Amino acid sequence: MSPYPHHEEPAKEAAISLIGIGNAGVNITDRLAMRAALPIRTIALNSDQQSLTASVASKKLVLGPMTTHGLGAGGDPERAIDAAKESLGELQEAVSGSDVVILCAGLGGGTGSAVTPLLAKMAKEKGALVVAVVTSPFQFEGRRRSQQAVESLAELQRHVDALIHFENDRMAELVEPRADVSETFAACDGLLFQAIGGIVRMLGNPGPLPIAVNDLLSVLRAGAGGCLFGCGESEGGNRAHESLEQALRSPLLDRGRLLQEAGKILVHLSGPASLTFAEVAAVMREISKNTSASAHLCLGVSSAGDDSAPLIVTIIGRTGVEERKSAPAPSVAMPSISTPPPAAPAPPVEDKMVADPEVASPTTKTQKVKQDFLPLEPIARGRFERSEPTIVEGEDLDVPTFLRLKIKK
Amino acid sequence: MAKEKIHVGLEIGTTKVCAVVAECGRDGEIRLLGVGESPSRGVRKGEMVDFQNASKCVHDALADAEERSDQEIKSVWLAITGSHLQSFNNRSSSSLAEESEITEKEIGDVEYKAKEISIPKENVILHSIIQRYYVDGQEGVIDPLGMLGTKLEADYHIIHGVMTRIQNTIRCVKEFDIDVDDVVVNSVASAQVVLSDSQKQAGAVVIDIGGGVTDYIVYHDGVVRHSGAIAIGGDHITNDLCIGLRIPITRAEKLKIEEGSAMVGGHPPGEKITLRNDTGFSGKEVDRELLNMIINARVNELFKILKKRIHEVVPEHLLGSGILLTGGCSMLRGVREVAEMIFDSPVTLVHAHSVSGPTSAFENPQLSTCIGLVKYAQAVNADMPEETIMSKFKKLLNFNLGL
Repeated sequence: MSPYPHHEEPAKEAAISLIGIGNAGVNITDRLAMRAALPIRTIALNSDQQSLTASVASKKLVLGPMTTHGLGAGGDPERAIDAAKESLGELQEAVSGSDVVILCAGLGGGTGSAVTPLLAKMAKEKGALVVAVVTSPFQFEGRRRSQQAVESLAELQRHVDALIHFENDRMAELVEPRADVSETFAACDGLLFQAIGGIVRMLGNPGPLPIAVNDLLSVLRAGAGGCLFGCGESEGGNRAHESLEQALRSPLLDRGRLLQEAGKILVHLSGPASLTFAEVAAVMREISKNTSASAHLCLGVSSAGDDSAPLIVTIIGRTGVEERKSAPAPSVAMPSISTPPPAAPAPPVEDKMVADPEVASPTTKTQKVKQDFLPLEPIARGRFERSEPTIVEGEDLDVPTFLRLKIKK
Repeated sequence: MAKEKIHVGLEIGTTKVCAVVAECGRDGEIRLLGVGESPSRGVRKGEMVDFQNASKCVHDALADAEERSDQEIKSVWLAITGSHLQSFNNRSSSSLAEESEITEKEIGDVEYKAKEISIPKENVILHSIIQRYYVDGQEGVIDPLGMLGTKLEADYHIIHGVMTRIQNTIRCVKEFDIDVDDVVVNSVASAQVVLSDSQKQAGAVVIDIGGGVTDYIVYHDGVVRHSGAIAIGGDHITNDLCIGLRIPITRAEKLKIEEGSAMVGGHPPGEKITLRNDTGFSGKEVDRELLNMIINARVNELFKILKKRIHEVVPEHLLGSGILLTGGCSMLRGVREVAEMIFDSPVTLVHAHSVSGPTSAFENPQLSTCIGLVKYAQAVNADMPEETIMSKFKKLLNFNLGL
């Protein structure tokens, strides 16, 4: 290991492509392209011409202009597949020439559900490392959509190297119940944005302490267990503490409690050149307080750029022991990708007993319990909860200013 | 009237109910005899939310005041606040028959007309304060009585509020068979004792930051130009701390008073404040930077809103005497500095002056409004020219409120 690689030119920058598929995917891709100056190629891919027109991705691709006439797949995977077949050549081209392909999609719809697994397969065949970041639909969106999402997820798992799966239902808990629709969606997108940003940072990590791709993969390996994710960013005197606190506050970590159950945890700190060793040590100390003694902690540090860059702490982990699952069978185990391990791996032995409903149903039930534990941040009006709100220019001034201005949070 | 008159000012605040008993000499001298206080319950943002509890507190405060001043309280001057208060400036005019002398009747007429404006029907006018008269277009007439003219115009500053809410506050006092001489808006009362005449001339803003409400009043050229109330106060800071630091509300209040500052920085980075454990509270370390940042955010925002509201009516350069801060929350560290930064003009912390009595009482900015009430009462009784209108108006108000 060369000790201080950041002094040299990196031998070869890994070429990373981010492909957003379907409406949700395109949205998030846009967000990334606009907000983060990440060294990646962005491709927006949709069967809906309209969403592409507004996109700022570096490359846009309309799927099956003849099949769908650019009007979208209308939530029908069959239609989307037809469209994809028509544009097969373009798809091949999209996935080629990258060392890492990050696929980003909202499962449950037409294009996202159908084309994402297809692309994953193609990218894999081209020899790229494939990471999929996907969301599953809100429960209220209906059974059909969630069924489509489940099937697509199962398919996807066969082809990707790593899978990060967020459930929209769970992410909705990020926001206050009173938040309006656009805020809720923005918060969900925001989390995905953070996740992708975190992975890109880890992959493109210049050092001094890089995270091995192998480590990253073993954590993200599409397999059993729930995916833990938290990301925080801060600058100023107390940045180490603040960014860690933010990262731990992620609902996907359950305030850091889920870290206790994690078998393997990746911690990545990306900061300005002024990042001190003491800060790194402080963050790691704090994290190891939260983890179980047997957990495998991997640390990555990259300090580069000017002093104005914020310190970003990214925590990615997976609950449960590390075990490579055999070829995932498209069974009840599938929807529980992001759930704790006891529920997830339905060992093949049990297949014989599936006839017994007693055995089958608890599996699905336990997976729920864990998710409901996530704390719901109450709307912070505190003691003014029941008094007449002070509304000035449309803002509820009873909600603490620092929350509204997002100074801390 | 040879005898000196006793006036009582009562404020039912969000944090505390306080009553000031004072003796007013005929030469305008005010001597404080006693101050009664009681922590307030049942009041949120300056308005009653729990009548039973609130009237109990009023009783305690009045009893306390009676005991300390050795006076029996028969009637009080009552301060009113709350976000329902609104104000505006209105000009009215009245034509005189031929070229005749302006009498009380004409002046009364023009005031009556000024108040003939459309306010919501549940509202009632609390104050109509004369700003200036114009006689046949001649500006700057202070008192037109006895002048000749054909047309009399007048600018009034009118403050109105929701009648039922004002009545509730009055009823709270009347429960104990104590009369309410008049109701006075907080900011008007405070301005009576914290502003000098020269400051009123030069232009000044009085900001009274209380527990639940911040009242403000703007003077220029010796008259009220603007006034208002916004339902943000010290309680909001406490609540912010309670949420932001995850500590109980009582600890948050204590922490705010003992350690809090509205200015960020100026302390070693990463400094912690240790809260000792207590029954039902297991102690905690609080980051000083975070504490001050939360307070700063709130105070900053409050002053920004005030600045916007004030500058809508009165441009900044007309406020020669700057900003005067009073009220309980003005005692919080750093509030003055933040105000100075936002308003970009001199800011001073003030308390009642030109009164005598126990220094500890009148130097307390928490009592500015109460002492102001007494001063206001004295001014009304002394039949000063500016105030005659108010005393007349008082009758009208009492009539309006059905007292």
